[in-house]
Amino acid sequence: MKENKIYTIIFTFIISFVFVLILSIINSITYDKVLENQNFSKIRAILNSMGIEYKDEKDAIKIFNSKIDQIEIEGLKFYTTTINGEKIYSYIFSGSGLWGTITGVISVNENVDKIIGIDIISQNETPGLGGRIEEDWFKNQFKEEHVKDKIKIKVSGVSTDFNKENSSVDAITGATLTSRFFINIINDSLEKIRNALRSE
Amino acid sequence: MGKFKEVFLKNTWYENPVFVLVLGICSTLAVTNNLKNTFIMTIGVMLVTGFSNLTVSLLKNLIPSKVRMITQVLIISFYVIIVDIILKAYLPDVSKALGPYVGLIITNCIIMGRAEAFAQSNPPLISFWDGITSGFGYMIVLVTIAFFRELLGFGTIFGYKVMPGNFVNWTIMIMPPSAFFMLALFIWIVKGFKKEGAK
Repeated sequence: MKENKIYTIIFTFIISFVFVLILSIINSITYDKVLENQNFSKIRAILNSMGIEYKDEKDAIKIFNSKIDQIEIEGLKFYTTTINGEKIYSYIFSGSGLWGTITGVISVNENVDKIIGIDIISQNETPGLGGRIEEDWFKNQFKEEHVKDKIKIKVSGVSTDFNKENSSVDAITGATLTSRFFINIINDSLEKIRNALRSE
Repeated sequence: MGKFKEVFLKNTWYENPVFVLVLGICSTLAVTNNLKNTFIMTIGVMLVTGFSNLTVSLLKNLIPSKVRMITQVLIISFYVIIVDIILKAYLPDVSKALGPYVGLIITNCIIMGRAEAFAQSNPPLISFWDGITSGFGYMIVLVTIAFFRELLGFGTIFGYKVMPGNFVNWTIMIMPPSAFFMLALFIWIVKGFKKEGAK
């Protein structure tokens, strides 16, 4: 019976059906929670890149809803706010990293000559290597960095780049390619933002 | 009870999946530069091995031999996806940090190996125990390697700075090559102990 062809087909069908059914049930139960997490990680990334502090999830959502506006310029979606009289534009970028898509937020000032900050929403780089683009020391390099034209990347340095005037940041040791891809995404985004804001 | 103890000792020491059977090496090399990621990943492997062994053992009399392996893969991936969904819903930060590695638990040879070598011919409860302890044997090795790699590579343990301020990080320790020689050193030391014990 067990080796019967019909039995094999029926068995395979039933077992696949049952397992996939259970998975889809679990998936639909957690769907809202996952969506909520994704939404929150977007909000958190926007606030982080703008340099706005918040206490917890509720606080972050409250600040986001009250202080941040959504506008569209030249087909690009921006999140804007004003901090200390300075208008800040945040743009959600997305581009290919070494292993997958890197999505994040970049915030710039009105003239697009200074990066206010960046944050990552999602990425698929190697944990512990390219995945370190999520770490604070790497992201902080972009904070308040002046950009003339493009951000450059330094591969040979030993310490983090603290100079905010040289438009250059340090690569991640062992993840030079991810760093390069990431800088390319940042530069492309800067270009797009510049074109959009200037044409306004 | 004796059988449970025997399985435990076998899976963690005499036939440890990593340093005796040399299975699951890819993940040993990949995730061990960070203790937190290693810890969560190995817990995932432990649970997946345990539950897939349990399921394979429960279904073993029904599974036709022709589709035996594909059924095992189905069961394993079922549990891996559950782990992935749970992490995404309740531990989003960890899920983010581990990235593709949760999905890659499916490819861990230890899980398939235990399902095929043990669960196919043993009762459910002991199979579950066999899976959990195999995962535990895997965890011990990975956590030990990760401990040294993170300590020397970043100067931290679980992300907390423990090395003095003037400590220069051994960058090589966070790069993949170090996992090779750390694993080799580990196997060398453990085999040395085993030989001593045999004498």
